[in-house]
Amino acid sequence: MSSYLPCGVYMESYLADQRWWRTPFIKGKMIAMVILLAALPWLVDSQWLSVAYTINYYILAALGVQLLVGYCGQITLGHAAFVAVGGYCSAMMMLYINWPAWMISAGLVYPITIVCAGFAAAIWSVLFGLPSARVKGFYLIMTTMAAQWITVPLVITQYVSQIGGRGQSLSIDPKFIKVGPWTIDSDVKIYFFSVLLVALCLIAVGNLLRSKYGRAWIAIRDNDIAAETMGVNIVIYKLLAFFVAGFLAGVAGAFYISALFFVSPEHYEWFYSLLWVGIILIGGVGSLQGVVFGSMFVVVIFKLLEMSVLGASDALMESYPGLGWMTTKFIFFKEAAFGLAIIFFLIYEPNGLAYRYWQLKNYFNLWPFSYTGK
Amino acid sequence: MHMFLELLITGVMLGSIFALVALGWVLIYKCSGVLNLAMGELTLIGGYVCLGLYERFVTFMPLTYAFLLALLGTLLIGLILGLLTERIFLRKMIGEPILAVIMVTVGLSFFFKGMVFIIWDTDTQVFEPRVFPIDPVNIGGLTVGQVYIWGFVAALVLMVIFVCFFKYTRWGLSMQACADDEMAALSLGISAKFVYALAWGIAFMAAGVGGTLLGNINGLNYSVSVLGLLVLPVVVFGGLNSIPGAIVGGITIGILQNLTGGYLDRFFPGGIKEIAPFVFMVVFLLFKPYGLWGWERIERV
Repeated sequence: MSSYLPCGVYMESYLADQRWWRTPFIKGKMIAMVILLAALPWLVDSQWLSVAYTINYYILAALGVQLLVGYCGQITLGHAAFVAVGGYCSAMMMLYINWPAWMISAGLVYPITIVCAGFAAAIWSVLFGLPSARVKGFYLIMTTMAAQWITVPLVITQYVSQIGGRGQSLSIDPKFIKVGPWTIDSDVKIYFFSVLLVALCLIAVGNLLRSKYGRAWIAIRDNDIAAETMGVNIVIYKLLAFFVAGFLAGVAGAFYISALFFVSPEHYEWFYSLLWVGIILIGGVGSLQGVVFGSMFVVVIFKLLEMSVLGASDALMESYPGLGWMTTKFIFFKEAAFGLAIIFFLIYEPNGLAYRYWQLKNYFNLWPFSYTGK
Repeated sequence: MHMFLELLITGVMLGSIFALVALGWVLIYKCSGVLNLAMGELTLIGGYVCLGLYERFVTFMPLTYAFLLALLGTLLIGLILGLLTERIFLRKMIGEPILAVIMVTVGLSFFFKGMVFIIWDTDTQVFEPRVFPIDPVNIGGLTVGQVYIWGFVAALVLMVIFVCFFKYTRWGLSMQACADDEMAALSLGISAKFVYALAWGIAFMAAGVGGTLLGNINGLNYSVSVLGLLVLPVVVFGGLNSIPGAIVGGITIGILQNLTGGYLDRFFPGGIKEIAPFVFMVVFLLFKPYGLWGWERIERV
């Protein structure tokens, strides 16, 4: 869904039409965005910086969901399982491999584990994507849901977490969380690292989507039987989509370790699988911008909700001590609000935030004759 | 062998409760084509509503009447909630793509869960005083808890009532007609909106009774909604749009769950009992994706 171009700008070839930066204005916009992202740590305090890298974590995780749901039409409700595999793979590698000292000091360990986590999660994801060769729609939802129930409460909580008898959560020695010469130990560094990862993944996925693979995925999404009759090997391409989505999930899981310094099964509950699908629905299905908008919307809304509920309960507690339950039950307010948000977006804004952004862009591109008939 | 029979018979009884909840699920799917992922939360709501009513009623009347009255109240509140849910959220989604409708039910499940835990706490709550006597009874040498037997009886009675309702009443027949061919039913003057609303009402009622019975067995907490989620393996096994499939599937999953809990728990400690139905479902899907009696979909391009 590319927007209308300003008057007088036209493309002469497919190649020109598919370029990342089609007009100087877009280039300018991107440069402005890079400057804004680079300047962010000096504009906001550390509380909002942590919001920023949480947004980036959600973007990384929801990107895989977007690839599967929005571009390949394979609905997944178990993505947190693959994120968990990534997180645990990275953590276990850091804990149990005897890394030579020069690798630790050179900051190679963490990048290596991120890549391995990506591959581990990708393989796990392909395993549960196998039924997609035979089933689709609701039945595929069931198998991905089963992936969640098998992976997180059973395999990870009962077996992987028990290795070494450390209890449920595995803490990581901060000396491992080092990328090249930079030790990732402050909010600012976590933020820049997350921006780097998100930029890399978004560019990679964006490039994949304009290649042969992306076109095949979109054909499968639009009509899989038609795609098959046109010569697309749908089994291979579906599994490939699961592979790439799993890889992104693994990277997301491994990244989040740097923010937390530990992994614990409670970060990979079913809630998160649904949250990431909710993010792409809110942002817009079938749009990379949608992932970004959806993540920003959800995380910022949660943060504002937290501040308002906690602030309100603090203010009210002095005069009405009986209202202390509002603080303890905040998480349920959050869940109920998120549920309502999904429902209302689906009913009243089914194209998501990305569609509104598209309309806004067109308004300015076509100004002063902005009516596009939509 | 003795242990096997005991597990089997409790499994059948537990499974009949799953079958009851699955019946509600199948009904919604048959009539309106909505794949409902909020079934676990519906059972949770039913359980808590019944508990709340029971605790009020038991203060001024005998135990049996209090429970029956509370159950009746649960059915009534379930019906009202079902009608409201359909009217407010689901009616606007008629004709939308499958993912959108499923995600609306997911949103509903978040909303309901949040509301339930805001109103009632997350601590385990039990029916106090106990509705069913705690000491087990002896049937031909097998010891079975009384709560299972009463749950089985209640589930059976309700299933019979529901099946009779579909077969012999005017409303039930209109639901069958709508499930069979919506266009034809509409042209014969059956209101599809009424049928959808009725299906949601009945699903809420069935889930409410299921939640009450499950809550009587283990106490009420979040795990009841996980048990309610077990309807998904049940309906996949029986076929999405088959009422006999839901009943057979429910009992099968109940037996499977109990047997894995009894025999495999010592080899795979932890949650194997909860996971086994899902594992079974994945394997089953690979071989027979449309379940035992589900309709096979043939697609046109």
